[in-house]
Amino acid sequence: MGMTLMLIMIGLLLLGFPMMIPLIVASIVGFVMMFNGLGQMETFIQQMMGGLRPASLIAVPMFILAADIMTRGQSADRLINMVMSFIGHVKGGLAISTAASCTLFGAVSGSTQATVVAVGSPLRPKMLKAGYSDSFTLALIINASDIAFLIPPSIGMIIYGIISQTSIAELFIAGIGPGLMILVMFSLYSLFYAYKYNVPTEAKATWSERGRSVRLAIWPLFFPVIIVGGIYGGIFSPTEAAAVCVLYAFLLEFVVFRSLKMPDIYRIAKSTGLITAVVFILVAVGNGFSWIISFAQIPQAVLESVGIADAGPVGVLVTICVAFFIACMFVDPIVVILVLTPIFAPAIQATGLDPVLVGVLITLQVAIGSATPPFGCDIFTAIAIFKRPYWEVIRGTPPFIFMLVASAGLIIAFPQIALFLRDLAFR
Amino acid sequence: ANWRYAHEEYEGDVQDVYAYKFKEFIEENSDHTLQVFRFGELGESDDIMEQAQSGILNFVNQSPGFTGSLIPEAQIFFIPYLMPTDMDTVIKFFRESEAINEDFPKLYAEKGLELLKMYPEGEMVVTVDEPVTSPAEFDNKKIRVMTNPLLSETYNAFGATPTPLPWGDVYGALQTNMIQGQENPIFWIESAGLYEVSPNLVFTGHGWFTTASMANKKFYDGLSDEDKKLIQNAADYAFEEIITHIDGLADEALAKIQKASDKVTVTRLNEEQIELFRARAPQVEKKFIEMTGKSGEALLDQFRKDLAAVTE
Amino acid sequence: MSENTSDDDTGVFESGLPGILGLIDVLISKIEAVMLAAGVLLMALNTCINVIARFVFGEGLFFSGEINRIMIIFVTFAGIGYAARHGRHIRMSAVYDALPKMGRKVLMIVIAFSTAAVMFFLCYYAYGYIETLYGRGRILPALGIPIWTIYVWAPVGFAITGIQYFLTGIKNLISGDVYLSTGVVDGYADTESEI
Ligand code: NA
Ligand code: NA
Repeated sequence: MGMTLMLIMIGLLLLGFPMMIPLIVASIVGFVMMFNGLGQMETFIQQMMGGLRPASLIAVPMFILAADIMTRGQSADRLINMVMSFIGHVKGGLAISTAASCTLFGAVSGSTQATVVAVGSPLRPKMLKAGYSDSFTLALIINASDIAFLIPPSIGMIIYGIISQTSIAELFIAGIGPGLMILVMFSLYSLFYAYKYNVPTEAKATWSERGRSVRLAIWPLFFPVIIVGGIYGGIFSPTEAAAVCVLYAFLLEFVVFRSLKMPDIYRIAKSTGLITAVVFILVAVGNGFSWIISFAQIPQAVLESVGIADAGPVGVLVTICVAFFIACMFVDPIVVILVLTPIFAPAIQATGLDPVLVGVLITLQVAIGSATPPFGCDIFTAIAIFKRPYWEVIRGTPPFIFMLVASAGLIIAFPQIALFLRDLAFR
Repeated sequence: ANWRYAHEEYEGDVQDVYAYKFKEFIEENSDHTLQVFRFGELGESDDIMEQAQSGILNFVNQSPGFTGSLIPEAQIFFIPYLMPTDMDTVIKFFRESEAINEDFPKLYAEKGLELLKMYPEGEMVVTVDEPVTSPAEFDNKKIRVMTNPLLSETYNAFGATPTPLPWGDVYGALQTNMIQGQENPIFWIESAGLYEVSPNLVFTGHGWFTTASMANKKFYDGLSDEDKKLIQNAADYAFEEIITHIDGLADEALAKIQKASDKVTVTRLNEEQIELFRARAPQVEKKFIEMTGKSGEALLDQFRKDLAAVTE
Repeated sequence: MSENTSDDDTGVFESGLPGILGLIDVLISKIEAVMLAAGVLLMALNTCINVIARFVFGEGLFFSGEINRIMIIFVTFAGIGYAARHGRHIRMSAVYDALPKMGRKVLMIVIAFSTAAVMFFLCYYAYGYIETLYGRGRILPALGIPIWTIYVWAPVGFAITGIQYFLTGIKNLISGDVYLSTGVVDGYADTESEI
């Protein structure tokens, strides 16, 4: 049965059906096989609605909304200009700034797609003007957006935390180390690239220009302060932080900067609602799909046949990484987390692995997968926003994917990269 | 036949132990097999309840507190000091109570469910940011509650500020002092590590976390008398096993907690202190009757009679 | 910057339907858009008010979580029809893109009609599920309203989405170009040349 459902899904996916269809059709087939007919189809609907129940889901639309307000207004621009004024003159500085901006933006955004939009929109033209090739630029943007997924807050971690009953606060802290490590890797590669192709630099900003850019960025710089302070000061939960972000972004753009007008909020909210619906319908059907998989006890059968139970901790971690990496090449990251996490839960428990470490690795794999050909939501986001063909968007990605996979290996070999800060804060 | 059973806890928790004892009895005494699904495998508490109602699952275990949105009277277990405080009397209560053994099965049957057993999981323990011995000391303390109006009323009555919060946020919220406390059976406080961030344990004696196993009624009624008896015996067997299991479970969990952290304090309210809290219970009872009408009032009377009978 | 963002193609919706049907279609599209925006803003407002109430007045809103749950369902099911209308559902088009125009057209007709069929199928069972829930009488604990009432958007959303895909199939049958939805012509190559 597992095989049949897999083939149906991949087949329909490749043919270009809307992504909910492969999941729905595979589920229907699963129900028919399990219950000899359509008699229990209402449970599929029940589970779709159940998929939309977790309270933390509202973080998704809230972060998209906040990012959209900041990007259409001035906050995102001001932050980027500030970073540029400090390293724009360094060889490869613009590329490094882009990676750094993704990291910084990661502190307010929980999604890679929002980061592609918010950082990519203003920075891609600048990088092209400065002489970077488009394929390098696009690859850098979609892959550096992975960092935003690791830096708290992160939708992936929130969802993993809920499903696996792992402390979201601990996951958040544990994502910082790997996020910074990847930033360093990407920066080194950008340096290498800039020297190899002799990319020109921007004029060095004077200290007064820098001072000005910092002054302009002061209000947006409060974003991380408010979020981190609010969460750790006990004023709101990580989920609620997303809505507080919206409130602050709204105040900045509509009251302080006056860069947006009231009709804009309608357009922005509408587009946020659209993106939310498109993602959440997949969350819903993904939940229905994983129900029938779970009911038929397919994961247990697969894991038994692979023999993961006696693979040992490293074996389990590698299997998890490979499974999530491959799945994310085909399916939406959130859906992958929803479907696969419960499947691996017994193996994780059996080997006594730290669920926080597993969560960080899964988040990383999911982020990598979202920018990995053939299918990745960041690739499609980039195609949609920058209006570039598929091939051009993915051409420059291999070196980045290599670095990301290497960093996953490093985290498995040296778990302290992720767990050091967590232990410092919680143990 | 292959039967399916789902409960709302994790591996090794009380409901899981009960389910596997139930399974053991069924499989040893018949040719039937029983598949057990744990929390999250087939959805959340409400989902598995609906699946049992629609017959996909043959058996389900759900705590009456969660059943409140379906059977309002089941929320009676949220009323403080309605049950005895010491273990032996509690077990006697569950064995002999007319309310539990005669009234509740009727309420469940109305919703298409055959109630097999109600059983206690453990005494509710409150963890707070500082030890609390009177309602006055609960003043201005935000205590996390499940989204349930009656449970909220209990903490209102106790002088605290009930704050609904999803379970996933509880640890973090305690850590950041967004809330100052929460309530749970002690073995959950231990397994979720809540004592790390909320180290003052207060044994208020106000209630027991209760749960119930049941079958889909249509499925049950369609069984042969032999199978019905098998299921009843399996439920009795699992009940006896679970009573042995929970005996000492709380002490074990407490010992583990005290070994793991030296910040932990334990406050057991004495009879005088309990009296201060017990005096607030009528307010919750009133709310319960408001929510459930005549049928709730009758159930409450029966509970009181049963309580009097076992504490004589 | 806003020219670059991906959603401005949902600004104006022109129905592919003739006459009065087209007017109704445009009206539904407008209602969906307003529902989407209102739903998202209500989530933000509700969550912020809860935070402020808890922080300033010491007591949060008891029903805040349930309101958000209602809004999520509301936005999702108002949005899937709207997304279908604007050809915005996420799909993996790599293989599809490689096909010649005629192949894409045939495939799109198959995709549109079968997607419509699946949506109507789900609409039927969503309605059935609501009926079942209605019979069981489960309520939302804090708000006290029956749960089935918050699910009514599901069959409506499936129905509207199904209609949109059905119309897309028709549109592809009767016109020369390949259509992703009744109003959106396929291909970044096409949009590229228009920019
Ligand atoms: Na982030
Ligand atoms: Na990415």
